[in-house]
Amino acid sequence: MAGKRPALPLVLTANDLFGGEVVYFTRKGWSADRSRAFVAVDEAGADALEASLEEAIAAGEVVDPYLIDAGQAHYREQIRLTGPTIAYGEEALHVSL
Amino acid sequence: MYRYDEFDETLVRERVAQFRDQVERRIAGALTEEEFVLIRQMNGLYLQLHAYMLRVAIPYGTLSARQMRQLALIADRHDRGYGHFTTRQNIQFNWPRLKEVADILDLLADVEMHCIQTSGNCIRNVTADHYAGVAADEIEDPRPTAELIRQWSSLHPEFSWLPRKFKIAVTGAAEDRAAIGVHDIGIRIVRGEAGETGYQVMVGGGLGRTPMIGKIVRDFLPRGELLSYLEAILRVYNLEGRRDNKYKARVKILVHELGVEAFTARVEEEFAALAGRGIDVDAEEIARIAAYFAPPAYETLPPVSEAFEAAKRDPDFARFARNNLFPHKVPGYTALTVSLKPIGKPPGDATADQMRVLADLAEAYSFGELRVTHVQNIVLPHVRLDDVPSVWAALVEAGLADANVGLITDIISCPGMDYCKLATARSIPIAEEISKRFADAERQALIGRLGIKISGCINACGHHHVGHIGILGLDKAGVENYQITLGGDPGDRTALGERLGPGIDGDEVPAAIERIVDLYLHLRTGDGEEFIDTLRRVGLDPFREALQPRETIRAAA
Repeated sequence: MAGKRPALPLVLTANDLFGGEVVYFTRKGWSADRSRAFVAVDEAGADALEASLEEAIAAGEVVDPYLIDAGQAHYREQIRLTGPTIAYGEEALHVSL
Repeated sequence: MYRYDEFDETLVRERVAQFRDQVERRIAGALTEEEFVLIRQMNGLYLQLHAYMLRVAIPYGTLSARQMRQLALIADRHDRGYGHFTTRQNIQFNWPRLKEVADILDLLADVEMHCIQTSGNCIRNVTADHYAGVAADEIEDPRPTAELIRQWSSLHPEFSWLPRKFKIAVTGAAEDRAAIGVHDIGIRIVRGEAGETGYQVMVGGGLGRTPMIGKIVRDFLPRGELLSYLEAILRVYNLEGRRDNKYKARVKILVHELGVEAFTARVEEEFAALAGRGIDVDAEEIARIAAYFAPPAYETLPPVSEAFEAAKRDPDFARFARNNLFPHKVPGYTALTVSLKPIGKPPGDATADQMRVLADLAEAYSFGELRVTHVQNIVLPHVRLDDVPSVWAALVEAGLADANVGLITDIISCPGMDYCKLATARSIPIAEEISKRFADAERQALIGRLGIKISGCINACGHHHVGHIGILGLDKAGVENYQITLGGDPGDRTALGERLGPGIDGDEVPAAIERIVDLYLHLRTGDGEEFIDTLRRVGLDPFREALQPRETIRAAA
C-alpha cells in the first residue's frame, strides 16, 4: 500500500502472514507490541522506513504493509491496535447450557 | 437437500489439496502475496483488520444438522468458538490462522461444504427465499433452480474472471423474501398462460456505491431455457462490462449505460446464437435435481394444535408464537425462525454451543434441516405446531428465544470496522445500542414491523439502502459519522431509501432513531399502519427535524 508518505512521526505497520494480527516494524523485525515500533521522527528516519516498506513488500514476510502517522490517532488505527471494540463469542453470548 | 455426487466430491477434495500446497508455497516464499491473494480469494479467504476471515458457502441458505454441527466443531477447533451468519446466507469465521485453513476446508469437505466462489469476481453463492419449499404462498420451491444455477456456475471457465462479483437470487413465492430486485440477476418463478412454470428475469439490481433496482429483461422464460439465457446475460456482461474502473464494473452500470432495451437486445441476440449448443439440461435432469428437494415425510395433522394453543397462556411464549413463526404449506406445521439478534449483542453471531443446540433441535423437530436467512437469523423449516413449546423451551435455555423477528431490534448489520478492512466506521456497536434502547418487548410490539439495516461503508453489506431505516457509517475527517436514510424496502415494492439529512455522530444515532420512531407512532393511522406505509403516505419531510435533538432545532430557530 505504498503511496503518499503521511506526516511525521511515522510508523510502519502490516498484518502478520500467519495469523493476520496487526504488527509494527521495530529495529529487530516485526512485533505485535506497538510500543516497540520504530518511530521515524525526521526525514532520514522516514527514508529508512520507506526503504523498509519496499523491502517488506518484496520479501512478503508480512501482508499489506503501509506507513501511518504515529502522532495522529485515527480511530481505524486505534481499533487495529486494540482489537474489536465489542464483546464477541462466548463473552458476549454465553448462556450456561 | 442436495447431496454431492462423486464429481463434486473429487473436485472439492482436489481444490483443498491444491490450496494446502499453495499456502505452503506462500509461506516458503515461492508465491508472492500478489499471486497468493487471488488464490486465497478463490477459496473464500480474506485478510481483515486483525485476522484472516474465511467465508463458507451455504448454497441457498440450506443446511443439514450434520453440517451445522461441523461448523460448530470448526468454530471450536480453529476459531474463537463462534461464527457470524451473513446477509448472503453464508457463515464467516473471523479468526482462522493461515496454516489451519486447509484443515478447515477438509472438515468442510467431510460434510459436502466448501468456500469456493465466496470471494473474487465470479458468480457467488446463489441465494433464495429462506422459506423455500415450505411457504404457503409459494408457486414452486426455488431451490432446484438455485441448485441448477449453482452447478452451472461452479468453476465456469468463462465466468471465473468477470469484471466484478456477480450475485444471483431466486424466489418462487408471491412475496419476495430474497430481495431479488437488488441482485445482479433476480429470478422469480412465475406461471405462464397454460399454467406451466417459467421465470421472470431481472438484471442490474445492486446496492453498494451506486444502488439500483433491477430491470425486467424477460417476463417469461420457459424453464428449459434458463441456463442458456443466463449464459447469454453473463456473456454480454463479461464482454462489455467495464474493467477500467472497479466502481463502475458491476452489471448494473452496464444496464444503466446501455439502457435496458439495448441491453436486452444484446442478450436476446447472444441467446439466439447459443440456441442448440447443448447448454440447457433436459427435463429429466431438472427432475433429478428436484428430487433432492422432495418434501420430508410430513404427518397428517390437524391445522390447529391444542398443545400449541394452550402454551400461549404464557405471555412470553405467546409473543414468540406471534413473531417467530411463519405459515407452512402443510397443516399442523410451521417454519420457526430463531433470532440471532439478542438485545445488545452482535447481530448474526452464534457460539459453537448454540450451533449445536440448533443442530440438535433440527434433528429432533425439523427433519434435520436448517436455513440461514439474509436477515441473519436461522430457520427450523418444518416444526410441528405441537412441538413449538418444546423447541421454545430449549431455545430459552440456549439464549436463543428472542421474540423479535421482523421487529425494530431484528437489525441487519455488517461486521463494520470492528472486523472489516474496508469499513469506514463501526456498525455492531450502533446495532447494539439501538437494540438496547428498544429492548422493551411491549414497545417493540407497539412499533410493529420495522427493519433497520446498518452498513459500515459504502459497499452496503448491511443492505442499508433497503432498510426501512438505513444507517451508513462513514469517516468524516477522522470521526465516525452516520447517515440515516428512510424508505428503503427489500421486498416486492423494492425501494431505495432517501437520505434524511446530514450525517450525525455515532452516539447520537440511537436517540435520532427514537425520535423518528416516536414521530411515526404519532403520525400513523389508528389501524396500526406500518412504518413504511406511514412514510410512503406522509413522505420524508416531516421526519427531517427528527434527525437533530430538539434543543438544536430551537437554538437554530
